[in-house]
Amino acid sequence: MAIVKYINLYFKLIGAGVRAQLQYRFAFIMRIIGMLTAYTGTAVTMWVMLYQFQTLGDWNFYEMLFLLALSIVSWGFCIILFFHFRSLDTYILNGTFDRFLVRPINPFFHFMAMKFEVSSFGQFIFSVVVLTWVSFELQIDWTIGKAIFLLGVIVGGVLIQGGLLVIISALAFWTTKSEQFYWVAMYPARNLTYYPLMIYPKILQWVTAFVIPFGFVNYFPSTVILEKETPFFPDAIGYFSPLVGILFFMLSYFIWMQGLKRYKSTGS
Amino acid sequence: MGQLNMYWTFTKKAFLRSAVYRFEVWSRTGSNLIFLVMWGSIWTALYAGREEAAGVSFTAMLTYIVVSKFLDGVNEAGTPLWDIQEKVRTGDISLELMRPFDVPLRYLFADFGSVAFYMLTALLPIYFLLFLFMDLTLPTDGFTWIYFILSAFLGFLIRYCVEMTFGLLTFFLVETGGIEDIFYFAMSLLSGSVIPLWFFPGWLETIAMYLPFQSIFFLPISIFIGQISGSQIYMALGIQLFWLVVCYLILRLVWNRASHKVVVQGG
Repeated sequence: MAIVKYINLYFKLIGAGVRAQLQYRFAFIMRIIGMLTAYTGTAVTMWVMLYQFQTLGDWNFYEMLFLLALSIVSWGFCIILFFHFRSLDTYILNGTFDRFLVRPINPFFHFMAMKFEVSSFGQFIFSVVVLTWVSFELQIDWTIGKAIFLLGVIVGGVLIQGGLLVIISALAFWTTKSEQFYWVAMYPARNLTYYPLMIYPKILQWVTAFVIPFGFVNYFPSTVILEKETPFFPDAIGYFSPLVGILFFMLSYFIWMQGLKRYKSTGS
Repeated sequence: MGQLNMYWTFTKKAFLRSAVYRFEVWSRTGSNLIFLVMWGSIWTALYAGREEAAGVSFTAMLTYIVVSKFLDGVNEAGTPLWDIQEKVRTGDISLELMRPFDVPLRYLFADFGSVAFYMLTALLPIYFLLFLFMDLTLPTDGFTWIYFILSAFLGFLIRYCVEMTFGLLTFFLVETGGIEDIFYFAMSLLSGSVIPLWFFPGWLETIAMYLPFQSIFFLPISIFIGQISGSQIYMALGIQLFWLVVCYLILRLVWNRASHKVVVQGG
């Protein structure tokens, strides 16, 4: 079974990486604290913003926290699996990318398994605490159906955001740049999704629904779980999250492989 | 005089260097505008059709955000925090210690160059168009313009001192995880860059008033939209001058400590 072989290999490869990162325990803890500070900062900003105004669109503070936490939990997994893709340009420029091509395994898989970012524990702590708290405040009725849906949404969110990271890294095959594209496009786009998409101009809502499908990471699924309305979009659109994730990731994998065919070593 | 000439060279060099990295300018402008759309939309939704809130009209509030994102662009065009940290970690900064100039001053003058380039080629044209086509308020008399520019410049210098100080902490800590996140949080919330201080809960407003961060965004923008006017302007400029002196002294102190404590990290 090729898949089983690859899963085993993945854990072996990242096991080494994790042990290496845990060597620097102080750095590890500091990075988690840093992440927690940053996300708490965003939550505090939301709270201050709604202190006078009560609602944004028709979203109150707890609903917005839910939206934020849902985005961050899938981003946490995304960091583990795909975050290093953004620096593919550095590997290409230094010539170190070649080593992923000379081994008898799929280069995409090999590059993916090269790094396992442990600092995403900060994301998990934040989102689990917030989701639990908000579930009580909003009295969300977590039926088995909803819980399974939440898992599907998280998988979908990982695939969508991971897919975009993969596409961004693939740009390096054509332009020898990728890290900068992350900071120009994906970082601001992710920030947009911390707030309910309904507040943005319609064209932007369309883009986040059908071009870069970030709406399916947290906004559309949140409206399903919190039973809220989605102006301009059908109410049940959130249920498509996992499917959109799978399709978008397949597309991005295809783009990456096309880019790889074009790749020529720098030869240095 | 010769001293000033030398630093002026750094400004010119940085200006010319920015011209080479044109992709940087494009990318920075792109994300600046995305954040402008984001905060513009948020405030439009918060006002939800109301003419005014807390005595501030919607037009004034929208102007506040646009000016804030402009200042954001200006402040981000300098040497960023992670770059300073990187220079400390790699030891590049210690090479500069051997040279006959003052390092914090040299970076400041280089920043003038890159900021000037970014302003001339991207910020000023774009924000000129925004003010032309959007329903925003402009200061009506020339003095307000002068006070605004002065106040924004003081804010820029304060931000420079604070950011440099945070960057230099890398000398003592090596691992700086939470430090930079505290800086970014203060820069975005306590400075009033995305939410003006008058919408804060009372206690938080008081805290923010006693910190230097409000000088970077809140005070200059409030002067621009006329929320601070008359003799209050002198008060605001006075507060900014006070913080500039304090932040500069702290920067000096940290810099003196840091340059005496150059940790050599391997070869």
